[in-house]
Amino acid sequence: MGRIIEEIYVWRLPVRFYHWINALSIVILMITGLYIAAPLINPPLGEAVWYKGMAWWRYMHFVAAFIFVANFLFRLYWALFGNDKYARFGGFQPWSPSWWGKPFREQVESYLFLRSDEPNYVGHNPVAALAHFIFIFCGSSFMIFTGLAMYGENNPGGFNSTMFGWLIPLFGGSYSLHFAHHVMAWIFPVYFIMHIYAVIRHDVVDRTSVTSSIITGFKHKVEEEPS
Amino acid sequence: MEVNMQSNQTFAEIFQARGVSRRDFLKFCTMTSVYLGLAPSMVPSVVEAMEKKPRTPVIWLHGLECTCCTESFIRSSHPTIEDLLFNMISLDYDDALSAAAGTQLEDVRRKIMKDYKGKYILAVEGNASTKDDGVYCMVGGDSFLNTLKETAADAAAIIAWGNCASFGCVQNAHPNPTGAAPVSEIIKDKPIVKVSGCPPISEVMTGVITHFHTFGTLPELDRLGRPKAFYNTRIHDKCYRRAFFDAGMFVRSFDDDSTRKGWCLYKMGCKGPTTYNSCSKIQWNGGTSFPIGSGHPCIGCSEPNFWDKGPFYTRKAEVSFLGSDSNADKIGIVAVGAAAAGAAAHAAVTAVKKAKADSSEKDKA
Repeated sequence: MGRIIEEIYVWRLPVRFYHWINALSIVILMITGLYIAAPLINPPLGEAVWYKGMAWWRYMHFVAAFIFVANFLFRLYWALFGNDKYARFGGFQPWSPSWWGKPFREQVESYLFLRSDEPNYVGHNPVAALAHFIFIFCGSSFMIFTGLAMYGENNPGGFNSTMFGWLIPLFGGSYSLHFAHHVMAWIFPVYFIMHIYAVIRHDVVDRTSVTSSIITGFKHKVEEEPS
Repeated sequence: MEVNMQSNQTFAEIFQARGVSRRDFLKFCTMTSVYLGLAPSMVPSVVEAMEKKPRTPVIWLHGLECTCCTESFIRSSHPTIEDLLFNMISLDYDDALSAAAGTQLEDVRRKIMKDYKGKYILAVEGNASTKDDGVYCMVGGDSFLNTLKETAADAAAIIAWGNCASFGCVQNAHPNPTGAAPVSEIIKDKPIVKVSGCPPISEVMTGVITHFHTFGTLPELDRLGRPKAFYNTRIHDKCYRRAFFDAGMFVRSFDDDSTRKGWCLYKMGCKGPTTYNSCSKIQWNGGTSFPIGSGHPCIGCSEPNFWDKGPFYTRKAEVSFLGSDSNADKIGIVAVGAAAAGAAAHAAVTAVKKAKADSSEKDKA
């Protein structure tokens, strides 16, 4: 068996907190969101004042949404101004052709089984960075903007309605906006599967303890087995 | 000549001639001011405009439409002052209501356009076919597309009655074989107010005309061009069944106990949560009822392209290009399934490669 030869502190505490708050709020948002779209539980006959069925699910959705937004904004701050070389945006430059060069190509080739060696990165590899940009940055932004536009609908002329209401005509009405929010929510379960698979695979193939690193913060380098 | 005589009368004179008391006239002015969201101090301005200003001439055109906007106010069983106003607006040209027809009637239209150049309101019910030079809607020997462009050129403003004129309604629903297009896509250089709905509420229609008559401008519009006074809030937010929504008490089929108890119609496909209109506030036929009040879900008739947004009686929208059986969740589940299958296949290849590499290493050793 390989021996641990190096221990690297990759994910600092704020990043780990961000990750788990983000994961938890997405799970809550997805479940409550699906429930709001198709409420299942019907209370027994009685007075409407006795029950808060739908109101409770919507309230949970909004609470989780604002935690999600605050957490997302914190992560943006940390990515732009945090003194954290593995969590910064600095290295991610998709507008520059050189970013799409050798390291990115090698990583893609490795995922497509076109090379036998596995490039190894301490932080995110270029493909992972791109996936996070598309799913987490763009996806979350889309959900936040459309979500706040819908949240502002009950108070026309209010803050959310003024700041985000312009999205409604852009989508061709409130119904289409709701629909877009609903469809795009599914990118998170899709991402979840890809994410979990990629983490487990890297742990098995590279043996860098990437799975536990998001709890402990440490990744490990393992000495290759002497042959 | 007759046209001019009629136009010179004020609203107050018309009401008087029809036996409406001054008290009722003032009540009408006050009610309309309230609907328009005007301050109480503005009521005298409305009264003054109704009393003194000659009525604004209106040319009412009918394109591709079902005449439901017109039907809704001429079929009223209890004539209200709003109906009276509608019959009495200086409706100088309306090809659906006129006794005259043919060249004579078209001459009237041209005469109004000349006499009141830049001053008349063009009310459009229905929309124009734009495909093949508009041959799919011919009125008076010319395409409605041409008539609309010609009449709009000298209008002060355009009122788009109903969803057809505002957003296209059923005529431009997929696949739109006649190329039907709402007024705003054909006329770009005139102020347009979209009095949406299928049909719009009569108080909303009178309110818009009263606003223009009093102030000479169109009312404040929302982001989709509808008057804010009437289209600023959702049906859902003012719905009297909202308590059942918040409680999670839903009608699940049209013959169950909860239907009789008047629970929320959300699961029956009610579009109230995404529809901006005044139905749950002003209601219909002088406050008698509105669709949800009669136990039917809102179909969202004042929203753009409401025909193409899935079935009326289910919550989940169909996605037209993926067939009639698909919806948001089915797309999502297929995507998740594809991701899982992809991950599994990738894992399998990884395992096979690893096994091969291990065995070849063993062979070497």
